[in-house]
Amino acid sequence: MSNTPSELKYTQEHEWAKLEGEVISIGITDFAQSSLGDIVFLELPEVGTSLDKDSPFGVVESIKSVSDLFSPLAGEVIEVNSELVDSPENINENAYDNWMIKVKPANMGDYEELMSAEQYTSFCDEN
Amino acid sequence: MSELKTTILTDDHLELKAKMAPFAGYNMPIQYSSVKEEALAVRNSVGVFDVSHMGEFFVEGEQTIDFIDHIIPNDYKNLSVGKAIYAPLLRENATIIDDLITYKLSENKAMICVNAANIEKDWDWISAQAQKFDIKLSNHSDEISLLAVQGPKAESTLNSLGLEVSDVPTFGVKSFENGIILARTGYTGEDGFEVFCPNATVKELWSNLLSSGVTPCGLAARDVLRLEVCYPLYGHELNDELTPLDTGLKWTVKMNKQNFIGKETLENYKAKYKLIKLALNKGIPREGYDVLNSNGDVIGKVTSGTMSVTLNRGIALALIDSQKVPADEIFLIKIRKNDYPAEYLKKPFVVGGNKK
Repeated sequence: MSNTPSELKYTQEHEWAKLEGEVISIGITDFAQSSLGDIVFLELPEVGTSLDKDSPFGVVESIKSVSDLFSPLAGEVIEVNSELVDSPENINENAYDNWMIKVKPANMGDYEELMSAEQYTSFCDEN
Repeated sequence: MSELKTTILTDDHLELKAKMAPFAGYNMPIQYSSVKEEALAVRNSVGVFDVSHMGEFFVEGEQTIDFIDHIIPNDYKNLSVGKAIYAPLLRENATIIDDLITYKLSENKAMICVNAANIEKDWDWISAQAQKFDIKLSNHSDEISLLAVQGPKAESTLNSLGLEVSDVPTFGVKSFENGIILARTGYTGEDGFEVFCPNATVKELWSNLLSSGVTPCGLAARDVLRLEVCYPLYGHELNDELTPLDTGLKWTVKMNKQNFIGKETLENYKAKYKLIKLALNKGIPREGYDVLNSNGDVIGKVTSGTMSVTLNRGIALALIDSQKVPADEIFLIKIRKNDYPAEYLKKPFVVGGNKK
């Protein structure tokens, strides 16, 4: 079964969000990496990009598929994991150690509204 | 939606926890472990694909050779008994109904293997053409399963299972007493065999192959492997609108043959497209992406694209407007907002091991 850490928040698009002080790091879930299979390409926004909630912020590609990445919250990109862009296969190794972007949220309400680990697990089971 | 068809091996795929998806009306295994591991198993060792969805027709009778030679543009008449030949199936206007392999089982008997998605279309066309010939045509698609055993260890594996294949040359066909017909053909560029097996015994063959260490491979790996060696796929590089001259199949058309369906059209035909091979150093090309010249004009589209697991770079086949092939041979592929320079290759991306 997929691994779903309880300290993170989740979206229906299979991203996770982790609150660290005033910054939120974002990645994709173990369920997502497992569904995608071998991840071979990652496209991320530039630092300074402003994101709307649920807007696409990047693209993740496996050998046979292309998937948009959706921002769980509104805010500004303050850091991009460029090492991960060079080695996107690391996401398959550990989806939660490998954050993609760090965002300064426009409001904390977006974060609070995200699913808990328990809610996300039942969401995955239902779909 | 009509219900999905299954192959005899569906339960075996589910037991292996394969990702399944609808393909040509069948519930097919797309991936078992990882596309990369499966594709590399075929390049380096041996893998097996369940491609039982494909169709098999038999042609029997004294006019079998004349009939096949009439419906395909390639030279069936001069093919030796016990050999197979690849060809497109053409209409009078030379557009491609399907691509298929015909096996010369004897002077008076042939088997035709067709794409699953086109079984009905091909059957309708071929049986309409058969009216004028003294032959018997039959469709055995639902009684025959097909396993493609592919890779450098395919020969030794089949030999060890009692299917002696060392005497079968490339594109050679061999029939066995247990009803198996196999040919040294495939869709991966590696040495390998396509084993047509009666439904009743295919589960045993599948399980013996897996016990011998053969890697089960899904349709995703199959698509990557065929694209690496630039084999066309119906619905992508080939379709109802294109002729063989538009899409890299000139080598299958023997204009010196007395007659075949589509010949008259092709005599004066000017190709509308050119099928080309492009590779990227960054980014992955996908079907439908625009191909541009150095001025940024759209000159064609990607028909198939993937990450090559053998080369670890993006590769694509693309159809380019034949009037717009740039003299400077500079091509770019538009991926989302960016244009990526593409290397224009004249030879297949990967040379498989089947060129013995």
